[in-house]
Amino acid sequence: MKIPFSWLKEHTPIEKAPEVVADDLVRLGHEVESIDMPRAGVKGVRVGLIVEMKPHPDADKLKLLKIDLGDVEHLSIVCGASNMKAGDKVPVATVGTSLPNGLKIKKGKIRGEVSFGMCCSEAELGLAEDADGLLILPQDAPVGEEVGEYLELEEAVLDLDITPNRGDCMSLRGIARDLAADYALPLIEPGDEVVTIDDSVAAPKVTVSAPDDCPLYTACKIEGVNVSASPDWLQARLIAAGLRPINGVVDVINYTMLDLGQPMHAFDADTLVGNIEVRTANEGETFTSLEGKEVSLHAEDLVIADSQNVIALAGIMGSEPTGVTNTTTNIILESAAFRPARISITRRTCGLVSDSSMRFERGVDPAMIAVAMDQVAQMITGLFGGKVSATTTVGDAEHLIQDTQIKVSMRKIEARLGVDVPESADAVLERMGFGIEHQGDNLLFSVPSHRPDVRLAEDISEEYARVIGFDAIPTELPSLATISPNQPDTAIIDAVRLGFVQVINYAFISADEQRLFVADDGKDLVLANPISEAMSVMRRSAFPGLLNTAKYNMNRQQNGVALVEQGRLYDGSMSQRQETNILAWLMAGEFQGDSWYEKARKADFFDLKGAVEAWLSSKGLTARFIADDEVQGLQAGQTAKIVVGKTEVGYIGKVDSDIASSFDLDSDVFVASIDLDQLHAGKKAKFQPLPEFPSIERDLVFLFDKDVTSESVLQTVKKACGSQLVQAHIFDLYDGKGVPEDKVSLGIRFVLQDAKRTLTQEDSDQAMQAVVDAIAHQFNAELRG
Amino acid sequence: MSEIDSLKAQLQALQDKALELFAEAADLQALQDLRVNYLGKKGKLTSVLKGVGKLPPEDRPVIGQFVNATKSVLAEALDKAESVLATKAREMRIEAERIDVTLSGRKCAQGALHPVQQGLNEMTAIFTQMGFETAQGPEIEDEFHNFDALNIPQEHPARAMHDTFFFNAEGEDEALLLRTHTSPVQIRAMQACVDAGGEPPLAVVAAGRVYRCDYDVTHSPMFHQVEVFKVDKDVSLANLKGVLQHFLSAYFEKDVPIRLRPHYFPFTEPSAEVDIGCVFCNHKGCRICKGSGWIEVLGSGMIHPNVLKAVGIDGTVYSGFAFGLGVERLVMLKHGIPDLRLFFENDVRFLRRMGA
Repeated sequence: MKIPFSWLKEHTPIEKAPEVVADDLVRLGHEVESIDMPRAGVKGVRVGLIVEMKPHPDADKLKLLKIDLGDVEHLSIVCGASNMKAGDKVPVATVGTSLPNGLKIKKGKIRGEVSFGMCCSEAELGLAEDADGLLILPQDAPVGEEVGEYLELEEAVLDLDITPNRGDCMSLRGIARDLAADYALPLIEPGDEVVTIDDSVAAPKVTVSAPDDCPLYTACKIEGVNVSASPDWLQARLIAAGLRPINGVVDVINYTMLDLGQPMHAFDADTLVGNIEVRTANEGETFTSLEGKEVSLHAEDLVIADSQNVIALAGIMGSEPTGVTNTTTNIILESAAFRPARISITRRTCGLVSDSSMRFERGVDPAMIAVAMDQVAQMITGLFGGKVSATTTVGDAEHLIQDTQIKVSMRKIEARLGVDVPESADAVLERMGFGIEHQGDNLLFSVPSHRPDVRLAEDISEEYARVIGFDAIPTELPSLATISPNQPDTAIIDAVRLGFVQVINYAFISADEQRLFVADDGKDLVLANPISEAMSVMRRSAFPGLLNTAKYNMNRQQNGVALVEQGRLYDGSMSQRQETNILAWLMAGEFQGDSWYEKARKADFFDLKGAVEAWLSSKGLTARFIADDEVQGLQAGQTAKIVVGKTEVGYIGKVDSDIASSFDLDSDVFVASIDLDQLHAGKKAKFQPLPEFPSIERDLVFLFDKDVTSESVLQTVKKACGSQLVQAHIFDLYDGKGVPEDKVSLGIRFVLQDAKRTLTQEDSDQAMQAVVDAIAHQFNAELRG
Repeated sequence: MSEIDSLKAQLQALQDKALELFAEAADLQALQDLRVNYLGKKGKLTSVLKGVGKLPPEDRPVIGQFVNATKSVLAEALDKAESVLATKAREMRIEAERIDVTLSGRKCAQGALHPVQQGLNEMTAIFTQMGFETAQGPEIEDEFHNFDALNIPQEHPARAMHDTFFFNAEGEDEALLLRTHTSPVQIRAMQACVDAGGEPPLAVVAAGRVYRCDYDVTHSPMFHQVEVFKVDKDVSLANLKGVLQHFLSAYFEKDVPIRLRPHYFPFTEPSAEVDIGCVFCNHKGCRICKGSGWIEVLGSGMIHPNVLKAVGIDGTVYSGFAFGLGVERLVMLKHGIPDLRLFFENDVRFLRRMGA
């Protein structure tokens, strides 16, 4: 909502500077987006009279203009617009002027014709977002005067962001009311204009068949209007407030809407057939808006209709054929109350927004219905002539504008705010229009019709808070009971400690990416209104996101990446949807770069497996890794299930190289994923006395068949050694020269120890013999030389 | 020359020769050999002593003294030479072992916590230390928890501002959506309390991902929020200010001034937007705070009675405050990160720098 400062002052005699007023508005709960000084940007733009207009000899779309700026000589300007004619007055930016859009005007040659300036549109003057053609100034604009001065653009314009609960502040009067109350200034009442009713004009006939959605509808007819452009001061105000002048009647209505907050509508009476009816739409009925957009209506939409057509979507927009134009002579004015929720829903389902709907859906003060009607009728007849009918009223206006009475406990309000409310606050609220009566602890609060947002004790507490100022509320820590301590989730911190960089990817991916790792089983959760196809399906695997991140980084001079992500996967039908917390890793490319102590090495399966094992062990867990050739998207022979206890908690493996290369990744890519919801807390570390007796270390090397698994070997070894075995692990693996093709040599290192005595050579010999026997029995493998 | 003089001269010559050899010894081993050679059981001195038997008895003590003197001279010289050599050997070893200490150390694999995660962790820690309990909720929500229970009915203008992602809902009873804020967790936590037959006090912090259908330079379709609320008897706006002041000072690690501005949210009444004194210019006014000295950081308020009603908590007995903050925004302010998109591009160079 744009508030031209001079206009604001017509509602209450403010003497403070715009900057001060802006700060006070913020304190009162109105966000000030900016204080604009449009004039500052248009210095050097002057009112110019087009004295001559000729086509450009070499360009169809260009015109050669001679412009009178009141100087001795006329200015030659080449112009590409088409909405002007000789005799029009237009804003002319002279050479050396800088426009608000940054354009600096220079002398130029366009297709051989010299141009000494530029004629401007509203957009180029920074008065509108965009514009169609030049801004044609009123005829009485003084030639040569600075346009900024002429249009009164030198004043400050406050741009406010009005919150949805304050429909009453979508007007100059509403904002002025809050300020006047705060400053203890009078609010100047509108409407002492007297409209003379001419009984020769028949009042419009109106029926309202949807009184719940339209509790009050008023209409009057004005005959014999000579519609022309509205006066300059009015146009200038509309422009400053961000609206574009259309024609005299529409401008007056828009002016009054900005002024008083009541949106009205005018129909060209001669385009209507029969009487006006306010009714709900027929399902499928169509309506063509002023903007030329055709919409199909729903049965509950509220419309204004004549006996044949829908002539307006109530409170939103009129229809194109019934709008007022420069040729209109008889008009019907509408000023009404519509149920906000109704307007809100229709506006959304139809996809139409207007200044009118924005006000109606936030709540319009019904007390202004008659006042605005009078103001508009008076202005139209005053400016454009015409005779006004009596006003037809359907609905109970008296009832609608009654105050609402609320009785609350003052102590509760003060408890909610945490401060004692000073008596001075009441005076401010009374100036805002509230009625206040204290009876002991009881507060009898009377709410005027312009504040439908105040209905509860809590709403009243907010009014008091605004008036006292939030700064006056003390800062007090509440008593905070210590509640059962939470075990912080360290999953991601543990993973990061192991050298991985945490990434956060979007939870939605493309359907194609989903299919890389998850079969199509109808359990994708698909967004109805995604940002794009690439972000349309809730992910059921973290791998596409990680692969994209790997690709992004490998394309930016990274030779390798080690990534980890914590997040959710989403699947299931809508009614049985599931969100699973997971941790997922990706390693690819050089694990470590070349250095003075080591050559670069590319990550392999065991780098990632080691990280996953270390991560599990930080949780007190160990896992078994069971080869699994059936995981979609991962390469058979380099993929395993991760099993903790008896629960399958995830998997690890090499991404199929076709998939990896589709993400531009040449190196082997390894990924792992663990379902955090499946992991239960591991064992808490338990104290054990340190061993008193020394341990013995022994090595044995066997020649196994090549397809042996180290897990089975170590299991056999552990069983054979019994309780004296502290540890056994593979310390050497060799299948090179000297080892038969189908064999592999595995070196096993044993650590033996007894808690009660020092082990002897015989003890360890015995254990090693047991191992040799067991290995021979189980694997038919022999000790190697 | 008498026998004794000849012996003395022999010893003297032996001593001179030995001292000369000791001085020339190249290393400790050579010196050890010399020690054996001269002072050992079969050494040169011993063999000289063998000649003592030929001396008249009265001369024997004299020569004995002389031999002992020689022996101790040699032993002393040997010790000294040994210590010189040992020092030299140590110096040589140290010199040989000299390294370039400026070479890089062997790399330990170093990870990095995402800056948003750091923010989440820091914020959650501050609230849990203040006695707030953590809670979680689903990201795929229904309209009741995301809107209706929060006093945002279907036709409410605020509902349209939320830019909600909806799911295809063919044949479903209820529309499902991605939660647009963490406030549904507020509803769920209160419902859980009531359903379990419990009563306030409730003090909860809930962090998580939220989604808005908005994607440009300053908006990400997915971002993170932290929701904090407390419901108890006599919770006041002053308490809200107290918690906000404590949290914001703790998070920014300095006494930041805060300012509450009246605002409107459907689920709180009164509602306030919260500003902090600009952390870039120390509240003086700069480009980032547009000269105002204030930066908006979050929305807050006293829980609306309709919200308490929706979950079955008696609003005449209990009151509460609630606020929700955008994690990315606070992290950007704390670390001077200029662009929201950096968080989701996941450039490891950025992540490593911020994660250090």
